[in-house]
Amino acid sequence: MVWKLFRPLLLCTLGVCVGLLANVRAMAAPETARATIVRAILTTDDAQKRAIINSLIGQGDEAIREVFTAWRQDNLYVYSAPGGAKVPVELTGDKDAAGTQAAVRVDTGEPLKDAAGQPLRLVAKQLTAVEHDAGLRRAMKNVVDLLDLGSPLPAKRLRAVQTIGFAQKADKLPALEARAGLETDTEIKKELKEAIALIHLADSDDGVKIKALAELQELHNSSSYDLINALKVKAETGGKPAVVAAANAALVAIENHRSVVKFFGTLFRGLSAGSVLLVVALGLAITFGLMGVINMAHGEMITVGAYATYITQNVFGEGMHFTLPFIKVAIHLPGLHLTGWAYQLYFVAAIPVGFLSAALVGIALERSVIRFLYRRPLESLLATFGVSLILQQLFKLTFGSNNVNVDSPVYLSSNWTVFDVTFDWNRVFVIGFAAVIVFGVWLALTKTPLGLLIRCVMQNRMMASCMGVRTERVNMLTFGLGSGLAGLAGVFVTQLGTVGPSMGQEYIVDSFMTVVVGGVGSIFGTVVSALGIGLADQSLQQILLNPVLGKILVLLAIILFLQWRPTGLFAARSRSLD
Amino acid sequence: MITKFSKLLSVGALALVALVAAARAADTVKVGVLHDLSGTMAISETSLRDILLFTFDEINAKGGVLGKKIVPVIVDPGSVWPIFAEKSKQLLEVDKVAVTFGCWTSVSRKSALPVFEKDNGLLFYPVQYEGEEESQNVCYTAEAVNQQAIPAVDYFIAQGKKKFYLIGTDYVYPQTTNLVLLEYLLSKGVPLANIGGGYKKDGSGKIISAGKYTPFGHKDYQQIIAEIKDFASSGDACVISTLNGDTNPPFFKEYAAAGLTADTCPVVSYSIAEDEFRSLPAKDLVGQIGCWTYFQSIDSPENTKFLADFQAWLKTTTADGVVKEGRVVDSPMVLSYDGVYLWKACVEKAGSFDVDKVRAAWKSGVSFVGPGGKVTTQPNMHLTKTVYIGESKADGQFKILKTFPDVYGEPHLKGTFKAKE
Repeated sequence: MVWKLFRPLLLCTLGVCVGLLANVRAMAAPETARATIVRAILTTDDAQKRAIINSLIGQGDEAIREVFTAWRQDNLYVYSAPGGAKVPVELTGDKDAAGTQAAVRVDTGEPLKDAAGQPLRLVAKQLTAVEHDAGLRRAMKNVVDLLDLGSPLPAKRLRAVQTIGFAQKADKLPALEARAGLETDTEIKKELKEAIALIHLADSDDGVKIKALAELQELHNSSSYDLINALKVKAETGGKPAVVAAANAALVAIENHRSVVKFFGTLFRGLSAGSVLLVVALGLAITFGLMGVINMAHGEMITVGAYATYITQNVFGEGMHFTLPFIKVAIHLPGLHLTGWAYQLYFVAAIPVGFLSAALVGIALERSVIRFLYRRPLESLLATFGVSLILQQLFKLTFGSNNVNVDSPVYLSSNWTVFDVTFDWNRVFVIGFAAVIVFGVWLALTKTPLGLLIRCVMQNRMMASCMGVRTERVNMLTFGLGSGLAGLAGVFVTQLGTVGPSMGQEYIVDSFMTVVVGGVGSIFGTVVSALGIGLADQSLQQILLNPVLGKILVLLAIILFLQWRPTGLFAARSRSLD
Repeated sequence: MITKFSKLLSVGALALVALVAAARAADTVKVGVLHDLSGTMAISETSLRDILLFTFDEINAKGGVLGKKIVPVIVDPGSVWPIFAEKSKQLLEVDKVAVTFGCWTSVSRKSALPVFEKDNGLLFYPVQYEGEEESQNVCYTAEAVNQQAIPAVDYFIAQGKKKFYLIGTDYVYPQTTNLVLLEYLLSKGVPLANIGGGYKKDGSGKIISAGKYTPFGHKDYQQIIAEIKDFASSGDACVISTLNGDTNPPFFKEYAAAGLTADTCPVVSYSIAEDEFRSLPAKDLVGQIGCWTYFQSIDSPENTKFLADFQAWLKTTTADGVVKEGRVVDSPMVLSYDGVYLWKACVEKAGSFDVDKVRAAWKSGVSFVGPGGKVTTQPNMHLTKTVYIGESKADGQFKILKTFPDVYGEPHLKGTFKAKE
C-alpha cells in the first residue's frame, strides 16, 4: 500500500534526475531524438512531457516515428533494472509460452541485455506501462507530421510541405518558416512559399488573406486553386469585396497558367502521338507505299517485334521456355539473370533483335507468298489477310492467349516537368526514336547502293531488270526492310500497352490511314500526315474533352480530305500506280 | 432357332443396358456450365469452367447432392452473345439440367435471361455487375455495386480523399456503376466540382452519364492522365476505375510515367483481380487498391484448404484444356465455387431438385462458409458476404487492408442516395 503511494513519487524524482542528467549530457553533445523521447517518458509532469515532445519538431530522425508509433500502440514499458535505474523499453515480437517478449531499449534501439550480456525477455504485466493521453497523442502526431519536413529525401520533404499546406493549420507555420530558412531545393522552396501562403489564407485577418492571395497569384500553382476558390465563395457570402477581388485575380492567374500548360502539353502529346503513328506506319510506307503490296499482315510484323522484346526481357532475366506449335519443338532459352542497370538495358538490346526478327519473318513471307502476287494487288490483300490470321493463331499457340507483360525500363518510366508541363520519358523517347528511324530510312534510300537499287526497281522494274539489277533480290530486301521497321515499332509499343496475339490488329487501320493520307509512295508525306493526325487528334481531345469524339472527327476529316485529294498530301509516282 | 435365340439374347442385352442406364440416371443429376471457352471472353471464363469442374469433383467424391452424382453438361457460346440464349434453351429443354452455372459479361446474362425465365430454369451468376436487376431465375452470387464500388469509396473517404475521378470503359457496367457512385458521392457531401471526368445532362438537367469513358481497346491515355494529374495536384484526389482488362496496361503505364503514384493519387480498379494481374505491369500497379469479396491472400483455414485442394486437383485432373501451371484464384472463381455449394445446400434443404422448391430454400436464407468467409442467401436472390479492400503487391497478390463483414447485397441503388443540400 505504502509502495503504491510512493511509487509515483519515486518515479517522479527519478525521472527528474534522469531528465536533468540528460540535460547535462545534451549540453555536452547534441542529444539524440531517442534520448529526448526517453526524457519525455520519464518526466511525470504532463505539460513538461508535451514540451519535450514538441522540442523534437523539425528533426528528421526516423526513429521518432518508430518510437511514437510504439508509444501510441501501448508497446512501451519502463523496466526497473536491478541497480534501480529506470529503462524505457519497447516490447516486440510474439509472446512465448511464459508470456515473455523481446525488449528493445528506447534510448538506443538495441535489445535490452542483462549483466551477462544476454538479451532479456520480459513479461508486459510485470512492467510499468508508459501511459499516453489525448494531449500527448496530439503532440506526437504533430511531431510525426512534421518529421518528413526534415527528411533527407527531397520527394518526402515536398510531400510533407504540401500536406501541411493543404491542411491549413496555423500551428504548423513556425515549422514551415524554419524550414524555409534552411531549404536549398528551389522546387521545395516554392512549395514552402505556397504552403505558408495557404495557411495564411485561413487566417481570420483579411489583410493577411489578401497578402497571401497576392503571393499565390504570383506563384500561380494549380494545386492551390481549390482552396482559393473555396475562400472566394466564403468571402462572397460574407460580403468582403477586397478578398473576392484578390481571390479572383489569383484564380485568373492560375487559369492563365493552366491554359498555357495545356497548350504546350497538348502540343507535346500531339507530337508524341504523331510519332507513335509514324513509327508504326513507316514500315508500311515502304511495303505498301513503295512496293505497292497491300500487306494486311503488317500488324503481325509489329507483334513479332513486340514478342521479340518480351523474349529479350526474359533472356536478360530468368530465361523462358516455350514450345513451337505443330512441330512440337521445345525451346529453352537460358536466362542471364542480370539485375539492376544491366537488366534495364534489355530494351536497348531488344531494338536490333526486334528489327532482325521481323525482317526475317518479312523476308520469309515475301519468298513464300508475296512474290507470286506482285501483279495482283487484290489477291495479295486476301493472301496477306490469311497470313495475318495464321500468324495470330501461331502467337496464341506459342505464347498463350493471355497478354504478356513487358516492363518499362527505369529510363523510360519517369518524366521531366518543365513549367508544369510533363514530358514523359517514353514519349520523349518515341519522338527521338521516330526522328532517328526516319533519318535512317532517308539515308538508306538515298545514300546507299541498296537504296539506289530500291528506288530504281520501284520506279521501273522492267528497265532496272534490263540493266542487270536482280529485281527479285531487291524486292525481297525492300520487303524485309519494311517488315523490320514494323518490328521496331513493335519494340516501342511494348512501352505503351499490352503485348498479345492480336495486338497488331489495333495498329493496322491507323497505319494504312497514315500512309494513304500522306500520299502512297512518299515517305515525307507519311511523316507529315502522321504528325498532323497526331496533333489534330490530341487537340480535339483537349477541346472536346472526349477521346472518342476527337477520333471520329479526325476520321471524318480524313474521309473528306481524301475526297478532295485522293492521292494524299504528296502524290508520288510509283509502280503500283502505273 | 439360332436367330430366335440371338434375337432373344439381343433383347435381353438391350433390356440390361436400359436397366443399367436407368439405374445410372437415377443416381446422377445434370448441371449446365454456360461459359465461353473460345472467343474474346475465353481468357477469363475458362478459369470459371475449371473451378466448376473442380467443385463438382469435390462434391461427387463426398457422395454428391441428395445422394446423386453431379454430371456437368458443358456448352460453349463462343463469346457470341445471342448464342447464350440458344445454348440456354438447349440446356433447359434438351438436356433438362437442374441448374446452370454461367455467364460473365452483363450482355451475355441479359441474352440468356429470357430463356431462363420462360422455361423456369435457375442460373447462378458469379461476376461483379451493375445491379438494377432481380430476376427470380437468377441466383446472383456476384458482387452488387454496394458490395464492391461503394465500400472502396468509403475507404477513400476515410483516408481523407476529397476529390474523385471516375473513369471507365464505355459499356453498361461502368456507366451504371458510375451513376450510382455519383449519387453516392453527392449524398456524402462531395460537391459536383470535386467529381472528375465530367458529366452529361439530358434536356431536363438530369445527369445521365458521369465520368470519362474510353472505348474497348483504347491505347492513348496521355490526355486523360494529364487531366488527372492536374485534378490531383491538390493532393487529396483518387481515381475510381472501371476500365476493362486490356485498356489497363496503357492506362497504368502512362500513369506511372507521368509521375503519379499510389501515394499521391491512388486508383481503385474494379475489374482487376489476381487472374487479370498476370498480364499487367505489376511494378506500375504496386500500392493500388482492389475491392472484392475474396482475395487469394485471405488467411483462413477454409481458404488454405481450398487453395491446396484446387492445386492438387489441377495436378490430377484429366479434363480437356485445363491449364495446370501458374494458376491463381480470384473472386469470380470463388463465387462460382460458393454458388455450387449454396445450390447443394438449397437442394438439401428443399429435399428436391425442383427449381421452385430450391428457390424457396434460397429465399429462406442458407449459409455456407467458403474461402472468402460466410455467405448467406437473401430473399432478393443476392448474397450477404464479406467485402475486402486490398492493396496490390509486386507479386500480383493483394494485402488486405480492411474488411467489411456481412454486407447485404442490394441491387437497386439508383435513386436511393439523396444529395446533401
